Amino acid sequence: MPIFNSQILDIDRKEAKRYAGLQKSNFDDKIIDEACELARLIINPRGIWEQYDYDEISQTIKASPEFQLKGNSIKKHLTGCKKVILIAVTVGIEIENKITSLFKEGKYGLSLILDAAATAAVEQSADQMEKAIKNQVVKQGYNMKWRFSPGYGDWPIQQQPEIVKAVQAEAIGISLTESMMLEPRKSITALIGLYEEANECIMDISNKGCSSCNKTDCPSRVKT
Amino acid sequence: MIHIFDGAMGTILQQQGLLPSGYCPELLCIDNPGALTAIHKKYVDAGATIIETNTFGASPIKLSHYNLENKTREINIAAVKAAKVAAKNKARVAGSMGPTGKFIKPLGDLDFEDAYENYKLQAAALYEAGADYIIIETSIDLQEMRAALLAAKDVTTLPVICQLSYSEDGRTVTGTDPQTAAITLDRMGADIIGVNCSLGPEQLVPIVKMLSENTEKPISVQPNAGLPQLINGKTTFPMGPEDFGKWAPHLVQAGATYIGGCCGTTPAHIAALKESLKDCKEPEFKPLRRRLMLTSRSKTVTIDKELPTVLIGERINPTGRKKLAAEIKEGSFLSVKKEAIDQVKVGAQLLDINMGVGGINQAQAMKKAITEISQLTDAPLIIDTSDPEVLEAGLRAYPGRALINSVSAEKERLRTFIPLAKKYGAAILCLPLTDEGIPKTAADRISVMDTILDAAKKAGLRDGDFLLDALVMTIAADQYACNHVLDTLKMYRTKYGYPSTMGLSNISFGLPNRPLMNSTFFSMCLAEGLDAPIMNPYDDQMQNALLASMALLGKDPNGIAYSKNENNLTAPKKAAIAKHTQLSPVDAVKQAIIDGDTDAIPELIENALKDNIDPTELTEKALTAAMNDIGVDFGAGRIFLPQVLLSAEAMKNAFDVLKVKYPAKENNEKGTVVLATVKGDIHDLGKNIVGALLENSGFKLIDLGKDVPAEEIVAAAIKNDADIVGLCALMTTTMTEIDEVIRQLNKAGSPSKTMVGGAALTQDYADEAGADYYAKDAVIALNIANEIIKK
Repeated sequence: MPIFNSQILDIDRKEAKRYAGLQKSNFDDKIIDEACELARLIINPRGIWEQYDYDEISQTIKASPEFQLKGNSIKKHLTGCKKVILIAVTVGIEIENKITSLFKEGKYGLSLILDAAATAAVEQSADQMEKAIKNQVVKQGYNMKWRFSPGYGDWPIQQQPEIVKAVQAEAIGISLTESMMLEPRKSITALIGLYEEANECIMDISNKGCSSCNKTDCPSRVKT
Repeated sequence: MIHIFDGAMGTILQQQGLLPSGYCPELLCIDNPGALTAIHKKYVDAGATIIETNTFGASPIKLSHYNLENKTREINIAAVKAAKVAAKNKARVAGSMGPTGKFIKPLGDLDFEDAYENYKLQAAALYEAGADYIIIETSIDLQEMRAALLAAKDVTTLPVICQLSYSEDGRTVTGTDPQTAAITLDRMGADIIGVNCSLGPEQLVPIVKMLSENTEKPISVQPNAGLPQLINGKTTFPMGPEDFGKWAPHLVQAGATYIGGCCGTTPAHIAALKESLKDCKEPEFKPLRRRLMLTSRSKTVTIDKELPTVLIGERINPTGRKKLAAEIKEGSFLSVKKEAIDQVKVGAQLLDINMGVGGINQAQAMKKAITEISQLTDAPLIIDTSDPEVLEAGLRAYPGRALINSVSAEKERLRTFIPLAKKYGAAILCLPLTDEGIPKTAADRISVMDTILDAAKKAGLRDGDFLLDALVMTIAADQYACNHVLDTLKMYRTKYGYPSTMGLSNISFGLPNRPLMNSTFFSMCLAEGLDAPIMNPYDDQMQNALLASMALLGKDPNGIAYSKNENNLTAPKKAAIAKHTQLSPVDAVKQAIIDGDTDAIPELIENALKDNIDPTELTEKALTAAMNDIGVDFGAGRIFLPQVLLSAEAMKNAFDVLKVKYPAKENNEKGTVVLATVKGDIHDLGKNIVGALLENSGFKLIDLGKDVPAEEIVAAAIKNDADIVGLCALMTTTMTEIDEVIRQLNKAGSPSKTMVGGAALTQDYADEAGADYYAKDAVIALNIANEIIKK
C-alpha cells in the first residue's frame, strides 16, 4: 500500500481562479496570491494507492473482498483494462477549518478563494501522485487512463465505501459520511485503468474531464 | 578507459521461465545460482567489464514482501558468489541495490533511519562476499539515494556508483534535476554518478551531459532498450541491439565512461555497444571551476562573484523572538513555515534555520524544521547551530546539500563540525573567531581564516565548499569596525577568491536610526564584493539599497530592475481613495462597494457622514443601490461570485461602521431568515455565501450551520417567526432530506416561505419537493428574499 504525500511548491493560480468561477474575469491578484500562499502553509497533502487486477467481463475489481463496479460510464471508461489503480488523496482538515473561520470573520472573498485554492491543491496532489504511479506502471509495460472518480457519469457515489476500503483511505485520514461524502471535504478517490499499449483503439473512448460532465452551466467548466 | 556494464537480468530470467508468479527473483541466488552464473557469463563473453549481482530487490524491506527479510545476508552473499564465478579476472562485480518501493518521510511513511538501516544490512553483505563496487540504481528519490549512499560509505570501503532514474521531463519522480543530483552526490562522496532505466539511450544523452558538466566524477549510464510495451500480456522492448549500440558513442561524447544497459537489453545489446565503442575515444577530462553550490531536493543555487547577490533570510531564528521561541517549544512550526514562505516571496534564496530554544530537544526540533521547510520551499537551507548533535540531525534529514553555519577556529568546532561537513557533503560558513576571541583587523582575520581553511582542506573539503564571513562588530564599540570589514572583504577576494557573507545588522548595534546605518553599510560592502548577505529580507530599506547598488555596480544593466521596482512603490491604497474623491460622497461609497474596496470603506463613510448625509439615505442610495447594481451585473454575467462576495465584504465593513455610530438603527431589519444545510450534508460554503448576502442586505439571519436535522430547522423557524426558511443540499444523496424538512414544516403549520438551492438541485426538483422558491445562485436568493418581504 504505497503512501505518497505530494510536495506542493506552488498552487496553480489559474486553476484556483477557475474553481472560484473567475475564468473570464479580472480579480484582485493580491487576494488570489494571499489565498494560495495561505493554502500552501496549512495544507497537509497525503495520498495512498493500490493496484488490483480487473476483470472486464464481470466488471469486478479483485480486491479482498472483490467488488463489482456499477454503471455504464465506468465500464466504458475501463474498456481494455486488465488492471486498475485505486487512489485516495487529501489536503487535510486544517484548511477546511480555516475556510470556515475566515468566512465567519467576514473575509468572504478570501474564504471563497481559499476554498478554490484547496481544490486546486488536492487536484495537484493527485496529479503528482499519478506521476509517481506512472513511473511504476510504465515499467510493467502499461499505460494509464485518466483518473475517474465516483460521481462521474453514472458511476454512483454509493460505491465509495468499497473504494475507500480497498485503497485503505483511512490510513491517510479520509473517512466517509453516511451520505457518501469524503471527509475532509478536500479529498479525492479515483480509479485509474491500466491497459496495454498494443490496443490503441481503446484509448480515447470516453471524454476526459469537464467534457464528460453533464452540468454544462458549471461556472468552473473548462471551455473547449 | 571506458567501462562496459552488463545488461538486464530480470528480462532474461523471465524469458527463461525462471520467475513463476509470486516467486522472489532474488531467491534464485540461493535456489539456482548456476542459472545466474550462466547469464553473467554471457555478458562477460559479450564484453562486459563490470557485471551486476542479482540483488536489485535484496534489501530487507523488499525481501519482506516474500517474508525473506531474514535471508538478506545469505541472498546477497550467494549473489556475489554467482557473479564472481562468471567474472573470473575478466570482469569486476558490482553489488546492486535498488529502491525500497516506499517513499521517505515526509513524502511517504518510511523513516530516513529505517531506509539507512535497510541499505546498511545489504551493503555489508555485498561487501563481505567480495563485491568490487556498490551500485545504487533506479532510485527516483534523492533522499533515498542519500540514505543508501551513507549506508554504503559507513559499512564498506568500496567505490559507490549512484544512479538515479529520470522521467521524460528530465527530473526524477520527486523533482530532482541532474545538476542538483550531481552536486549533492558528488559532495557526499559518490565515486561514480549516473543514470539508468526509465528512458531509452537517446533521451539520456542530455541528462548525461548535464551530469558531466556539474561533476568531475566519472559518469555512468545504463539506458533501457527503449520504452517497454505489453503485447498480448508480454513485456517487450522495441530497440534492437544494433540501434542500441549506435547510441553508445553519443553517450560517451556527452561525458559517460561507464556504460551498459538496463531493462530489455541482452548480451547481444552489450556486444553491439562494445563493437560501436571500438574506435570511440574516451572523453577528455575537463577540470571544472568549483563554485559554491547549494542544493535542495529540486534546485541548485550558486554563490559566486560573477553572479548576482544571493540573499540569505535570517528570520527563522528564535533568538530575541519570544513568540516564535514559545511556538517552537510547544512543537508548533506554523510561524516557522510562514517565515519560510514569506522570506522566499520577498527574494530570499537561501534560508537560515536556527532552533536555539532553551529547554527543548534541539536535535529533534532541527530535524522537524528541516523536514517541514524542505517540503514547503525549494530554497536550499542553512543549518545554524553550535551543537554537533543538532547539526547532524539536520544534515541527515535534509534532502540536498546544506550550508553549515558556522565553523570557527575554535578547537572544538573544528574537531566536531568539519568531519560532519565532509560526511554529509555540506558546505561550511567560515567564521574567523578563535577560542581567544575575535580578531580585530583584517590581517588578523585572514590569519584565523587560514587556520580554518587548512583544517577543512586537510579533512578533504575543497574549493566550492566555503563561504567566508567577514565578521561584523558594532561601530559603537570600535570606530573602525566598518573599515575592518571592508578590508577583510577585499582580502578574501584577492587571497582566496571564495564568496563572502556576513550578518549585517551588528554594525549599528547600540545606535539610533539603525536602518539608515545598516543600508549605508550594506552598499559599501556590496561595492567591496559581499556575495551573500544574511539579513532581514522584509527590510525595504535594505532591499532598496541592494537594488540601487546592483545598478551602480553594473550588475543591473541600465538600472532596469531598479526602475521597475521604483514604479511599484506607489501606494495603492491612497490611489484608491483618490479615485473616489472625484465622486459625490454617496456615489463614492456606492462605487467602493461595487469595487469591493473594503479598505477604503470606513474613510468614505466617515466622509459622507461629515457631509451631513443621513445614514438612512446613505444606506439606501449607496449600499442598497450598490447591491442592486451588483445583482444586475452578476445576472448578466459581467461579474462573478467572488466579486459579489468582495462587495458583500465591503458592505459588511460599511454596516459595521454605521452600527458603531448609530446603534439604535441596529434592529431595523427587513425580515428574518433561517438558513441551514440539511442533515447528512457537510458542504456549507454555498449556504454561507447566501447568508452573507442576506445579512449584509439588512436581513436578520439565523444560520443553523451544516448537517442540521429537520426537527431543529422546524423548531428554529417557528421560534423565530421566520419569514423565510432557506435550505441547502449539495449532492444527490442528500437533497431528498429537503423534501423531509418541507414536509415537517407544513405539518407543523409553519407560515414561512421556503427557498432551496445547491449544486444538484433544479427547479423541477424544487417544485416536486414543494418548495416555494428555487434559487439557482446566491444573488437570485437575495432577489427572491427581497421579493418575499415586499409581498
